[in-house]
Amino acid sequence: MIRYLIKNNFKIMFRNKWILGMIIFGPVITIAILSSAFSDLMNKYDGVDEFQAGYRAEEDSVFAQWMDVVKETGAENGIKFSEYPEGKPEDVIKHNNLAGFVEFGKDGYTLFKSADYEMEGITLEYFLNCMTGEFEKSAMQSVIPIKEEQKVNLPVRKLEYLPAVDATDYYGMIYIVYFTWIGLVSAANVLSSEKKYGISRKFQVTAVPEFKMYLSKWIPAVMVVSAGIAVTVALTVLLYGIHWGNIFVSAGLILLTIMAATAYGLMLYYIFQNMVLTIIVLFISTFVMGFFGGSFETYMYSAWPESVKSLSPIYHTNRALVELSSMGHSNYTVSSIVYLSVILVISTVVSILFDRIRKGGKA
Amino acid sequence: MEEIILKTTELTKKYQNRAVVDNLNIEIKRGEIFGLLGPNGAGKSTTLNMICSIIRPTAGNINLFGKNPLKQKKEVIHKVGYIPQELAIHGNLKAWENVELFTSLYGIKGEALKASVEESLQYVGLLERRNEFAKKFSGGMKRRLNIACAIGHNPDLLIFDEPTVGIDPQSRNFILEKIKQSNKNGATVIYTSHYMEEVEAVCSRIAIMDNGKIIACGTSEELKNLVTNGSEEITLEEVFLTLTGKKLRDYT
Repeated sequence: MIRYLIKNNFKIMFRNKWILGMIIFGPVITIAILSSAFSDLMNKYDGVDEFQAGYRAEEDSVFAQWMDVVKETGAENGIKFSEYPEGKPEDVIKHNNLAGFVEFGKDGYTLFKSADYEMEGITLEYFLNCMTGEFEKSAMQSVIPIKEEQKVNLPVRKLEYLPAVDATDYYGMIYIVYFTWIGLVSAANVLSSEKKYGISRKFQVTAVPEFKMYLSKWIPAVMVVSAGIAVTVALTVLLYGIHWGNIFVSAGLILLTIMAATAYGLMLYYIFQNMVLTIIVLFISTFVMGFFGGSFETYMYSAWPESVKSLSPIYHTNRALVELSSMGHSNYTVSSIVYLSVILVISTVVSILFDRIRKGGKA
Repeated sequence: MEEIILKTTELTKKYQNRAVVDNLNIEIKRGEIFGLLGPNGAGKSTTLNMICSIIRPTAGNINLFGKNPLKQKKEVIHKVGYIPQELAIHGNLKAWENVELFTSLYGIKGEALKASVEESLQYVGLLERRNEFAKKFSGGMKRRLNIACAIGHNPDLLIFDEPTVGIDPQSRNFILEKIKQSNKNGATVIYTSHYMEEVEAVCSRIAIMDNGKIIACGTSEELKNLVTNGSEEITLEEVFLTLTGKKLRDYT
């Protein structure tokens, strides 16, 4: 029944050349500007050579058992850890010309960074974030009783925490993700026409259920954004030579992002029933998610704690895509899929719920 | 005995304790062109919206083709064609695409849908302009397209909510002729308008509504007699003003 509705909504969205142009050329232009602007900055990060860091671990520290792994992985990645059992951290840093000092306490750690080694300090913090993430995963595995023969070596030693990616590849992928989150603009003319001209009221003089009506907007919007983004990806590969690594997994992640982001945008519209307000909230929330998720400042060198960054779905997708490109695999692929799927389902349910609540006084 | 296809009983709609439609009882027989007249804010559109299941009544019942449209919407709504006051069409779709979109929502597809779209466009005189975008149409053409979008599924009851607002006399005349033709073809029609001469020319029975209630109902002649007892010539507009008063209605 809604096949023709989907087809015609697709036509309306597709015929809006300005919006389609924005979806296609928005990322292309942004990538060109940002990758050029940030390439120096990325080179600065890349320019961080080997450096020294001090540490001290309390006897009952949860990290005590991992210290060998920390030192070994650090050394493999250019961070030489030396133990300093005595002295104030600030004095130890000063007297030994260290980039930073880590005090491993019972349940956590305190990082002291030298003002003279800003980039090294950020790198050290990112390294510790990655390591503690791995430790938490290992600790979770250790509380699950497993049979002797099933025991496996923990993968901590093989941690590749700093993917080698240049500014063009990084921003080339990140801004594709960023623009998919504002993809609902493709459906703006359908949604505003339906409200402005009473078309949505006329739809009520039919027996089409709310969920099908929802799909009649969601499906064409996903199709239009997917088509636009496909052209964008092709253009960026041709123009800037962006490396996508595992192309099938990356394409799947982008498609899932489009599906979830469109559902999220539609949910905002179903809540506010006002296109302008929806666009404002969509842009602000995407900006916030991108701010913590590495859309502006590369997530590798962002000073935000891992726990804050992990709240942003954009962070999971960005990190998965960057690692897929630079390392060929990523632990963030699964978390990204789970996060996006949850957003897709919850947004759809909330949209239908609000539609029904709004029709509470209606039939 | 004539079949009653629509009956409302004590139909009421309240917004913040203000009754917009107040215990409305109407009966519409098959084959009628029933006119609903009233000043702004009288409750005409609210009544039509309740009949079309767009809004839920606060109290009372609606019986449409022997069914309750609130509970049996799926079984009865395809018998209704609703032409709203607004031009409920997409400007960025061509004329035929607009008709296809709305007609398909009643389960018509494939060749039957194609034929239905052509027939509807032919009916409103837009077949030759089928490939033009609706946004390029004049006001009268948009009104006609609005009608085509509501008749493709061949409904038994056509509900026109002020279909001739803001259009030229030729288009108005065309629409009125089509309403009469639809009625001759078997459709029952409910028609609201502020143009008294239109209502008088088209409708077989007229109800005058004010403050959510029907204050008079009958043929044009019966309404005139109600006011003058047949003693003098009077227009329907004079009847309307006598019954509803001359005070301005500034409803928002």
